[in-house]
Amino acid sequence: MDPRQFEHSVVDDKDIHSIVMSYLLHNCFNETADSLASCTGVKLPADDRDNIQRRKQIIHFVLEMKALKAVELTEQLAKDLLEKNKDLHFDLLRLHFVELVCARKCNEAIEFAKTILAPFGTVQKYVEKLEDAMALLAYDDPEKSPLFHLLSSEYRQQVADDLNRTILEHTNQPSYTPMERIIQHVTVVRQYLTEENGKDAFPPFSLKDSLKG
Amino acid sequence: MENGLWELLGSKGLLKKHEFIRVLVQCLYSLGFKKSASCLEHESNILYKSADFGLLEKQVLSGNWDSCVAVLDRIFDSSSDDTRNTALYLVLKQCLVEYLKQGDVSLALNVLRKQAPLLGMGKDKIHRLACDIVYSKEMESGEADSFLVQDLRKHLLVEVEKLIPLPIVIPERRLEHLVESAVLHQIDTCLYHNSWDAVSLYKDHCCGRDQIPSETIQILMAHKNEVWFVQFSNSGKYLATASSDCTAMIWKILDDNKVELKHTLESHQNPVSFVSWSPDDTKLLTCGNAEVLKLWDVETGVLRHTFGNNNTGSTVSSCAWFPDSTRLVCGSSDPERGIVMWDTDGNEIKAWRGTRIPKVVDLAVTPDGESMITVFSDKEIRILHLETKVERVISEEQAITSLSVSGDGKFFIVNLSSQEIHLWDLAGEWNQPLKFSGHRQSKYVIRSCFGGLDSSFIASGSEDSQVYLWNLKNAKPLEVLSGHSMTVNCVSWNPRNPRMLASASDDQTIRIWGPGKPNKPEKWLDNQKMQ
Repeated sequence: MDPRQFEHSVVDDKDIHSIVMSYLLHNCFNETADSLASCTGVKLPADDRDNIQRRKQIIHFVLEMKALKAVELTEQLAKDLLEKNKDLHFDLLRLHFVELVCARKCNEAIEFAKTILAPFGTVQKYVEKLEDAMALLAYDDPEKSPLFHLLSSEYRQQVADDLNRTILEHTNQPSYTPMERIIQHVTVVRQYLTEENGKDAFPPFSLKDSLKG
Repeated sequence: MENGLWELLGSKGLLKKHEFIRVLVQCLYSLGFKKSASCLEHESNILYKSADFGLLEKQVLSGNWDSCVAVLDRIFDSSSDDTRNTALYLVLKQCLVEYLKQGDVSLALNVLRKQAPLLGMGKDKIHRLACDIVYSKEMESGEADSFLVQDLRKHLLVEVEKLIPLPIVIPERRLEHLVESAVLHQIDTCLYHNSWDAVSLYKDHCCGRDQIPSETIQILMAHKNEVWFVQFSNSGKYLATASSDCTAMIWKILDDNKVELKHTLESHQNPVSFVSWSPDDTKLLTCGNAEVLKLWDVETGVLRHTFGNNNTGSTVSSCAWFPDSTRLVCGSSDPERGIVMWDTDGNEIKAWRGTRIPKVVDLAVTPDGESMITVFSDKEIRILHLETKVERVISEEQAITSLSVSGDGKFFIVNLSSQEIHLWDLAGEWNQPLKFSGHRQSKYVIRSCFGGLDSSFIASGSEDSQVYLWNLKNAKPLEVLSGHSMTVNCVSWNPRNPRMLASASDDQTIRIWGPGKPNKPEKWLDNQKMQ
């Protein structure tokens, strides 16, 4: 079968709808999901509503620099989730420290670090991350420090995504959307074909280019 | 400078007088002679503590951190010097500690954010200070106990002192170190050096013949034929000898170093050419080129076991013990037999046989029991690590007649029929052996051994009826001992008495050698107590 003849393969509309729906639900776009449901007839499972709402709130708290609130709600949603995911718990607490430093609440930040973060310091893998965060104290303008990435929205998004995936996993839902998986597949297949057939036969997969048509 | 302090001392004018005096002052202080030290400082106008250090000390102890930093900045030439940055880091850390103890977080952060970057300490150190604020135990806010703070400042001074470059601070105990270096160098070049007694500073250290065995003190005549092997027990209290008269003998070393026959071990039908003491000295193994292996009890002289039996011709040429004194290994000159490991009850534990195991010339086990060294007919040495089964092979170019391992298990020597003794390291780092020569060996099996303080000597028999001694530092013999009238087959150096050596000869005697006469008789006064 020639890969260039992909235009001839048939795709079911229902499949496409469910892929889009799962993407929307994964990212808590519940209003859009409702909209899609009413237009296409794809069903939203009822009991998930509440879960999605709470998950949405938690993720937003992370993005809005309210990491402690996110932790509190997560513990309400799933008691032992953070205990079982120490790395994630640590990242969230560290975010709170960063928030305090940004808000120039240094005394509070130092206290928080001494009481809550310091115990993590006994485990080797957290030490470097702790040192990075503590270094922020040495700068009047944390945004101008070498550790500025800890303040960035990209980093917060990364932690939020991590938390999202972990919650989904905890409630036995897929932590990666089919959409993501499909794109990953295509990328890998393209790469493989390129290796097999030489550079020019199949250029690397680019979502952007594909969307252009 | 006054008093001609720019003068140079020493016969070659290499020593600076002011440095010499400062080192003397330091020595007086470190020995506890404060008054004398201070007096010398006064008389010579040279202070032990340099002006810069005195200033630094004052600033640290009074907590004047800005001045402190300024002094350090001046002392160190360049800001890329890591010791400079470490010193600054330590000082700033103490400064932060003190501010935090007072509860002054904003002042501390100010130092960290505004002052630290100006010093050029490097980002790493600044980040570390930030971490210290959170983690360091000393930063616990609490009572700003002035004693504690003084203590911390003193400790800081000690740490910073270690970082300050010369000549502002000189290393501690400098004079002692210099004198010791000179003494060690003298010991290094002392070829007869054989005891670890403290040396006298009154004269250059140089040992003489009286330190090593070089005179015959006793001749043991009891064997009725050529004596082929001799070995002291591990405790140095006994001696075992083996002869072509088909017997082995156990001798006792008495308190006055006289040697007395204890047991004659008779049972072998053929000449006995090899013995081996168990590590705990309670058992002795005897064997010969055309003989079986026998185990004897040392205390009673009774034969405990004969390994294999004569009919199958399990002739054993050499044997060795494992540290537990219950397992032993023996090698045969008959390739069929190979190498066999036994326990003292006569059970075979393990065997190495086959095409890879030719005739065994000699065999030894390292004192830690981890490796077995075998000399195969007749140019190959194999060192086998028993647990990892890793094997190292050394191929000599001439025929090897015997093998001996040093007491610390780090080296071994082999006698070659090309009249050379080769010394190899067990760790396998050397590409070439150390070579020793001077003795005669072409036809017979001649054996050598390590001996003396830290195994720094080698002794060997020789076909010219003399005993040869070498210091490991020199390839040529240190001493050649005459006395025997025929080939000296084997030597053994007492492991507990570095001044006692035994040699076995074809002239049917064993000679015991002791300290020689000193090169020049000398008396000197030892330290006398002054009341």
